[in-house]
Amino acid sequence: MTIGQITVSDVSKRFRLERNRPSSLKEALLRTGRRNIDDFWVLRNVDFEIEPGSFFGLIGHNGSGKSTLLRLIANIHRPTSGQITTEGRMSALLELGSGFHPDLTGRENVYLNGAMLGLSRRHMNDAMDKIIDFSGIGDFIDEPVKIYSSGMYVRLGFAVSVNVDPEILLVDEVIAVGDEAFQHRCMDHMNLLREKGCTIVLVSHNAALMGDLCDTIAWLDHGRVLELGEPAPVLEKYLDHMRGGGTTLTTRD
Amino acid sequence: MLKLSPAAQKSANLIYHFAQRETKSRYKRSLLGWFWSFANPLTTVAIYSFVFGVVYRASPPATENGNAENFGFFLFSGLIAWNLFTGIVNGCMGWLQSVSDLRKKVYFPTETALLGGAASNAVQTSLEALVLVAIMAALSNLSWTVVFLLVALLFTIAFGLGVGFVAAIMNARYRDIFYLVGVLLNVGFFLVPVVYPVSFVPEQKWGLPIRALVEWNPPALFVGIARDGVYFLEVPTLGHLAAASAWATLTLAVGWTYFRARSMDISEEP
Repeated sequence: MTIGQITVSDVSKRFRLERNRPSSLKEALLRTGRRNIDDFWVLRNVDFEIEPGSFFGLIGHNGSGKSTLLRLIANIHRPTSGQITTEGRMSALLELGSGFHPDLTGRENVYLNGAMLGLSRRHMNDAMDKIIDFSGIGDFIDEPVKIYSSGMYVRLGFAVSVNVDPEILLVDEVIAVGDEAFQHRCMDHMNLLREKGCTIVLVSHNAALMGDLCDTIAWLDHGRVLELGEPAPVLEKYLDHMRGGGTTLTTRD
Repeated sequence: MLKLSPAAQKSANLIYHFAQRETKSRYKRSLLGWFWSFANPLTTVAIYSFVFGVVYRASPPATENGNAENFGFFLFSGLIAWNLFTGIVNGCMGWLQSVSDLRKKVYFPTETALLGGAASNAVQTSLEALVLVAIMAALSNLSWTVVFLLVALLFTIAFGLGVGFVAAIMNARYRDIFYLVGVLLNVGFFLVPVVYPVSFVPEQKWGLPIRALVEWNPPALFVGIARDGVYFLEVPTLGHLAAASAWATLTLAVGWTYFRARSMDISEEP
């Protein structure tokens, strides 16, 4: 496998929703009646390959499973069946403050993030100034991140993610939180990373943004891939479907 | 320099990070800092020396040269292994809990948090051991058998991690486990011959061979080996060493296997 490649082969993911799940041993031992388990399949038989260096978009309605798929690629969850393989150093920006420990300072979190990516302290020392500069956090870098505003969280997270030379970058809409100027900087930086050959996977339901950025788009609906291919035709079908009032509501069936 | 694979290097960095964090945070915002890590065992030793040595007039178990024959030293030489064991088991549950939110947002090998915490505990225990060995040297009660203190502490770390791995995963599901383990460890402190020598235990009682039960349970073996090496200056029996190493390796292997099988589910706990 070449660096930057992502292979998703026949992946399904089930979440167990257990009603009245016992939260203590006492409840677990004294429970009467049957366990109340609802199986909910978030993803079903998802199968595709992401080429090294490509900009891949995942689009779909709320609850379509696109974020879950991204989390599976990031190795946060394990697929219920099927397999995902990734090759190369992967950095993920999944949600607000992802990968930050609230009690640690911004600087300590940068080191922790570096360690999680397998980068040495020395490497992070070199990148530190760039990261602080890019995030625009200033002196707050030595304050615990729990006092940060949501914008600061995202800016620092993004600054770390793009300044550690990732070979794969996973982004889940977080860039939408920053202000205009910051969003522009994010776009510039993602383009720069793409030129360096970094594979980027972006999750969004902003069709216009996806059309501008992506080489390939997968449209997820209720956990299945409906369309996969060039942005223009996929987005057209997606928008038609959405305008037609397609089943956009999340029905947890 | 040892060359590690990228994955091992990454784990090593993370273990170092978590160890450092644990060490720093332990006595954060305290004026006396590391002093507290000695205050606890020292007061325990003082209290038990008073109760057993003064009130009950129990004479400390005799040693060959009699130089360090003191109930406090007898107690401390065993307590050091026991405290390391409880520190790691209790710690593992807390360390996993403290990274579980983080693990829901980003992937990293969770065992590094437990290994890092244990490393921090091991460093602290080493300092206590150095103090003990220095006192023993000053009282000229020291011999090469002191290596068995080190052996006992290594066994204790392996066994403690094995138990801790299992306890941490179970505690992620049911928070009761933390309290249950606390109660069991409290009971264990008196069932393990830390404050009394094994020879005080009657061989038979209620039709049970209770001395053998007390003598051969794993924490008691570690406590005994540590004490042989640094207090009695004797070579532990081969039986004790064999049993201790078997307990340590088996428990660690079982705990590790269980942890690896379940640690990916941590991110799905509500």
